[in-house]
Parts: sequence; C-alpha cells; structure tokens
Amino acid sequence: MSTASGSNLNKVRDSAEAALSGLDDGALLLVGGYAGHHEPETLLQGVVDSGVGDLTVICPGGGPSLSRLVEAGLVRKLISSLPFNPREDSPVKRAWESRQLELEAQPTGVLAERIRAGGAGLGGVFLPTGAGTRFAEGQETREIDGREHVFQPAIRADFALLRASVADTLGNLIYSGTGRNWNPIMAMSARITVAEVDEIREPGGIDPEVVITPAIFVQRIFQRAS
Amino acid sequence: MPGDRLDPQKIAQRAAQEIRPGEAAAIGTGIAAGISRAVPPGSGAWLLAESGAIGYRPATESALVDASGAPAEIIPGGVVVGTVDTAAMLSGGHAGVAFVEAAQVSARGDFVHWTTAETLSLAAPGFAVDMASGARRLVAVMTHAHDGGISRIHQQCSLPVDGVGCVSLIVTDIAVIGITESGLELLEVAAGWSADDVAAMTEAPLAVSGNLREMTFDVPKLPWPGKVYDSADEAVADIPDGAVVNVDGFGGPGGMAHYLMVALRDHGAKGLTMISNTAGIAQVARFGAPEGVTPIDHTILVENSQIGHAIATYPVSPSINRPSAFERAFLSGESTLEVSPQGTLAERLRSGGAGVGAFYTPTGVGTLLGEGKEQREINGRSYVLEQRILADFCIIRGHKADTLGNMVYKGTSRNFNPVMATAARTTIVEVDEIVQPGELDPEAIVTPGVFVNRIVKRPEGFSPYL
Repeated sequence: MSTASGSNLNKVRDSAEAALSGLDDGALLLVGGYAGHHEPETLLQGVVDSGVGDLTVICPGGGPSLSRLVEAGLVRKLISSLPFNPREDSPVKRAWESRQLELEAQPTGVLAERIRAGGAGLGGVFLPTGAGTRFAEGQETREIDGREHVFQPAIRADFALLRASVADTLGNLIYSGTGRNWNPIMAMSARITVAEVDEIREPGGIDPEVVITPAIFVQRIFQRAS
Repeated sequence: MPGDRLDPQKIAQRAAQEIRPGEAAAIGTGIAAGISRAVPPGSGAWLLAESGAIGYRPATESALVDASGAPAEIIPGGVVVGTVDTAAMLSGGHAGVAFVEAAQVSARGDFVHWTTAETLSLAAPGFAVDMASGARRLVAVMTHAHDGGISRIHQQCSLPVDGVGCVSLIVTDIAVIGITESGLELLEVAAGWSADDVAAMTEAPLAVSGNLREMTFDVPKLPWPGKVYDSADEAVADIPDGAVVNVDGFGGPGGMAHYLMVALRDHGAKGLTMISNTAGIAQVARFGAPEGVTPIDHTILVENSQIGHAIATYPVSPSINRPSAFERAFLSGESTLEVSPQGTLAERLRSGGAGVGAFYTPTGVGTLLGEGKEQREINGRSYVLEQRILADFCIIRGHKADTLGNMVYKGTSRNFNPVMATAARTTIVEVDEIVQPGELDPEAIVTPGVFVNRIVKRPEGFSPYL
C-alpha cells in the first residue's frame, strides 16, 4: 500500500480480494472492456476466486477474463449488445447454447445511454434508437418532434469493475486508447466503483484538464501486477 | 455467363467512395471493417468506431482497436472518446454516413445485421441499430445472395429487422443498388454482369437506372473542408433574425466568446432566443473588472434589443438594487424567459446533441421549476420530464483548436461549452490559438471537430471590456 493514510478515505486496496469486499451473490455488475481488450483481468479473477454467484453482468466488451466467470458458472445473466462473435467458438457462446447462461441483447447506444442516465441521476430517457424494431416491443413509446422515441429506464449497479491506465490516490482516472470504452459511464453508475490500474500517482500527478473520470465516482483503486 | 463475384475487400472499396469530405463515417464490423483499409492515407474524413475512435486507420499494434477489435491508430486530427460518445454522436445526427454488413435488405430499406442473423434466438445487433437509427445515410454492404444462390435482397425481410426504412444504398459483390421511394434501382454492375443477371438474383422488383455503369474501385483522397474564418464578423454573418443561439459563459470574464459576442451584436440579428447560463450579469456583478470599464457579456446583446427570449439558469442580478439589462428587458416585456435549473439546462443541451428526445430528472420536483411538467414515479422517486434543446447556432470560446475544429479549453472556459457545441446545427468557436491537426493530444481533446463548423482566432490582446 503506497499511502500512509489509514482513514476510510484511503481508496487504495492491496489485493483484488480487498478491492471486491462486499460483493455478494446476486449482485448487478458493470464490467468494462472492449472486444476482449482492456479487461479488468485481476479483478475478474478475484471474482472467480471469491466464489460469489448468481451474478447479473452488464459487459458489452468481454473477453477471456469474463469468460472465466461464465465458465465457473457464476453468471446467471449477461447483458450486452453482442455477447460473443457468432463466427467464433467461445465459452460464452457454448454456455448460452447449453442454456447455462441467460443472455440479453440491446443496441450499444441504448445500453450506454441507460448506464449514463443511471450515473447522471436520471430516471430514464426517450431515445429514437430501435423504434419500430423488436427493441421497442413492449416498451413505452412517444412521438417527439415528429419522430418515434422509446423509453429506456436508467441502470444503476452494485459494483463497477473497470480498468484504467493511471489513477491518483484519490481515484482520478485516465485511460489509454480503447481503454476508455465503457469505463467513464460505468464509473458513474455503480454504488461501488473499483478501478484496476497500471500505475498509481500522488494527487496532482495527472493534469486536471485531462482527467476523464473524476475521483468522486471511484471508491476503490487496485494496482495490477506489472 | 456472369462474371466473378467480388471479394469482400472490393465491396468495401466501392462502398468507401460514398464518404464525403469532412464527415464522420461510422464503420461497422464484418465486410464494413475493410473500409478503413480502402480509404487512402491522409483522406479528409473521420472514420468512426464504436470502440471510441473518431478518425482512425489500421495499425499493427496499438492500445486502440477498431469496432472489430483489430489494432488501429488515431489519424492526425482524430480523437479518442468513449463508446457512449460515439453512440451519442450517431444518435444526435452528427455522422454523415454509416456502413453495416447486412444479412438481408428489403426493397423499402429495412435491414438485418449479420450478427443478428447469425445469433437468431438471441438476435444481437451490436452497434448496428445505433448506426441505422442515427446516420444520415446508411449503406449496406453484403454478398448479394447466399452461396446456394438464394437472394439476400427481398421485398420484405424474413428475419427480425434492425432498422426500418433506413438503408439508402446497397453495395454487393455484383451490384450497387439505390433505394428510393418507389423501391430498388440498379445503379452499377460488376464487370461481366448484366442488369438481367442481377435481377435474376434479386427477390424484389429492380428498376434499372438509365445511367447504368460498371462498378469502380478507386477511392478518392478527400480534402478536409476549410473551417477557419478570417474574422468573427464573417463567422456570424448568416445568423438570421429569430435564430436560437447557444451562448457560452459561466460568470465572467473568463471563458466567454467576447470576440464573437461583439460580432453578433454588430451583426444585429433580432428576435434571438438565447440559451445561456446567466443572461448577462457581468456589468452588475463586475467579477473584479477594473473601475471605468464595461465587461463584455450577454448584456451587450440584450441592450441592443436582440434577445426576444432567453432560456437561462441565472438570469438575474445578484443585487436587487442593480437590476441586470435582462431583468429590465424582461420587466418591460421586451424579452420573455424560461428558467431552467443549471444541471437540467446542461442535460437538456446534452440531450439535444446526443439525440435524446426527453429525460426524467429529479431536479425541480415539487418546486416552481417542476410545475406544469409531466411527473412520474420511477423506483419510488419522483421525476419531472424535461425536453431537449437543439439550437440553430452556438458561439463558444475554446483555448486551442486545430484546423479541423478539435478543441481544448482552459479552466472555467470549459463550462457549458462541450455540451453547447454538440447541441447546435452550426457551432462557431473562438480560440486563442489555431494549430495543425495532430498537434493536440487525441486523448485530451474535449470537443471533437465533428461538432465544430467554424473557427476564428481571437485577436491577440482582444479586450474583454468595451
């Protein structure tokens, strides 16, 4: 542990187990990543090791680490815009085909706006996306400025497991390339947001004009092994 | 005997001809992914990937990937953003064109994305529904028929569709087909294919263009459109009477588009709806301005009788003894006013830019600001429905812009600007410095150039005081 503060404000955790404390069976989890890149690998392995189950996971970008959760049978339901590549074999595809895993598919932007709405304190938003398709079935619609919009309720989760490149000890985060992906909105929308990072700096070590996720959204930071 | 069927990269090359100068072109997966390899280096358009890239090209190894997960790098003048930002860019109508690999297309422009067709009991669309719903033009790239010869182009799709009436052009491995009000029109054929050959493989009536041509595969290198204007006067010259205008500024004098504000005053357009945080209080609040000078802010537009209506969060003077120009205009009946809570105003602007029609917020419930608005209980909490704002013009100040309009701010000059920039049809920015594409860190750009139409350099030493 790099900081001396022993107070409750200390966000740095020295193990995945400590970073995941309080994660219980049946939790709703947001997990960052894009197409298997920039996964919070150590945290996801920590979930496997913890043995918590019956999880609902919203992860539009899962890869090998998410697959380990699925293979361990810890995930009851996975929500994504494209949970697996249909042209490739994968543990998620096999688990779904053998009915061990429930899947729900939503358009990328709908899922993103629902998560952002949760983080921004909104109850829900009206979006034109998917109007007239199966994605609007059973949902409230209304015409706004002559165009049909679909009501999309906000999503808030119990935990968000993210990966960032650099954090300061207060939890301000920056990302690298596609590492940004879903993280900024997921960070806003969970009761406990945990960031797995490559590097931890002292406050002031990141240019305040380029911080992407302000520390107020981050409860715990964990530095992965280099 | 017809000619060969084109390979997927040839389809991508023909499709890439549809990108226009300076626009954002959303690139999907499958065959569509090849478009990034078809566009010549240095071409003047942004390829948009849901992975968070605005302006990318293929690379060998990178922390950045494209929509398919293949390595990519940001072009000079490109920007790294989050997935929600790319989705909002599409939904808000800021992408000119999008390319999706379709498994089926109907004669009226419905389509089924390849991932939906290949995950039938799940029907997972990825980003396709967002692209279909948001892009101004949707191009479907696809093989014309299944290997057995069964057409993928139908009178009506047999699978659940990912978009209704949204495809405007189909590029296949044998033809290019336009979709019009009256149905399909064959525009181009691949070498060795006749109109009759294509019609025989198409399960819907196919009109033949009088201008039928053979498909070509050269992809032009596009010029970036010029956005830099010589003066603020030129940049605001076409703002008409009655326009809705976002005007930036928090308090003052930092972070206001003083140069553009003065130009808009001199231009003189009347009956404007002004959307802003204050409606001009710098002259009464002073904000540390020296004795004997008049700070420039929204007040100069109000005093010039240009503001017919304002939507603002703080439209009054901090002192009851020194009413602001807007308070006087309001009390005299010259201007009308809608007050919006500050966060609600920001969210309404973001909604305008992101294609959100309306949203439920808890802010203002049970207060005067919530009166007359639709109220709803969601999960035990009360919310009011608030409407988006979309302006005709936006004038804001940045710190630096590149010539494509990518911008960074400095301190409080960021304030409402990033959301205001997205929520106008024409966004005009005033910056201290204009640099070349590639000079701003793509990870640190706050407002992508996709949202910016005109750039002016604030003259050195331009005074924030009259």
